Amino acid sequence: MFSIIKQQLFRRFRESETKQHKLSYLFWECTTRCNLSCLHCGSDCSQNSSHTDMSAGDFLKALDTIKNPAPGFTVVLTGGEPLLRTDIEACGREIRKRDMRWSMVTNGILYTKERHISLLNAGMGALTISLDGLEKSHNWLRNTSAGFNRVVDAIGLAAGSQRLNFDVVTCVNQRNFGELAQIRELLIEKGVKAWRLFTIIPIGRAANNRELLLNNAQFVQLMDFIAESRKSQAIDVKFSCEGFVGKYEPKVRDSFFFCRAGINIGSILIDGSISACPNIDRSLAQGNIYTDNFYETWETKFQPFRNRSWTKTGKCASCSNYADCQGNGLHNWHGDKSQVLVCHNQKIENGLKIRI
Amino acid sequence: MKQLKSKRNWARKIIGGLSFTSALFIFQACYGTPQDFETDLLIEGKVKAQATGLPIKGIRVSVTDEGQDLMTDETGSFSFYTIAKDSISLRFEDTDDAQNGSFATKDTVLTDFSKPIFLDIALAEK
Repeated sequence: MFSIIKQQLFRRFRESETKQHKLSYLFWECTTRCNLSCLHCGSDCSQNSSHTDMSAGDFLKALDTIKNPAPGFTVVLTGGEPLLRTDIEACGREIRKRDMRWSMVTNGILYTKERHISLLNAGMGALTISLDGLEKSHNWLRNTSAGFNRVVDAIGLAAGSQRLNFDVVTCVNQRNFGELAQIRELLIEKGVKAWRLFTIIPIGRAANNRELLLNNAQFVQLMDFIAESRKSQAIDVKFSCEGFVGKYEPKVRDSFFFCRAGINIGSILIDGSISACPNIDRSLAQGNIYTDNFYETWETKFQPFRNRSWTKTGKCASCSNYADCQGNGLHNWHGDKSQVLVCHNQKIENGLKIRI
Repeated sequence: MKQLKSKRNWARKIIGGLSFTSALFIFQACYGTPQDFETDLLIEGKVKAQATGLPIKGIRVSVTDEGQDLMTDETGSFSFYTIAKDSISLRFEDTDDAQNGSFATKDTVLTDFSKPIFLDIALAEK
């Protein structure tokens, strides 16, 4: 009874958030160059990207269109690998001058002690580093022979900073599935306070690699692992917001599922496209900073993100969980968008049947 | 218009609070970072020679206990963000031998953060 009331209230809250659509989180895809060639990369980044990096000036011009940024408004630098740019600190200082905050997602390879200090000096406040397994499985997914040690060093540096709001993310796949408890211990030992777990969506390079995907029973085991880990205070473990997980909703995250793409989350992509999370199908872009006013676009467009009735199709059309799920995370809609790419809840239902 | 916005904000807080979830307003995108709600502050300043008043390049400015440091530039200037605390201890140190002159180390403790911080530091010659 209590949980039903909570859920109803949450639906009202989500409605109100959608109506207000306060922009508080902006991705900047500042480069698509990358020093790795990960097997699961959703953006098909490469060392020789066809796009040149967006100039700081172009990005800042778009940023300056934002009127009254929400409290805690954060620019999240992503790529590619942002640390391949030598002007990240200069960009960060410009963002801070505008009373905004900034953070970065990195693969950790170039995150040296010197860079750590210069990023802190430039006002970086949050950071996410990817660790995808113990040595062998991390290096396999990241397609590198020497990445693991560097990433573990980077994690140690970031975890040692009192200033950074820092977490580690792990993409769970067939190779690291059996190592989760050991990874958790490693992170605790390194002083990491927060760990987010993902599964891999079959897009980009991951589309044709079965080893990257979990079967239904494994997915349920992953939910159980997270739910169990959350009982301990040693590290804050959570499932990412990638999808609606039905019965596990209150157990694997701090809050109910809510895909905030286009509601509170926007992005400026490498070619100037204005969209939401960078892994969302680029056909959903709502404009371009080189032809449109960024903030006007945010305020007046984004209808497919704020009214998701178009996702009530395929298996979602008759789903009894639609009111809470609303078509799952929007990055699960690609191509002709006639069917959701992954239904996490269905994986759970099927996985639980196998268990019984 | 302002009134309507303020009403909406209250409604947001009430409905959000009633659904008893701690992370309603603190979220992170799937492939993004956590949000930064920590407080930090900007410390800026200039280092000069006490005797001549000329700017000194290459002085190491460090925050004690934070492992944060940087060097002054050609104009003797420095600027960095650091975590806000009740007091912040800074050290100004000549680490490049006699390259830009030789100066004695100076320590400073900051305790007043009510105004923007700009420090004028004068170092005595050794």
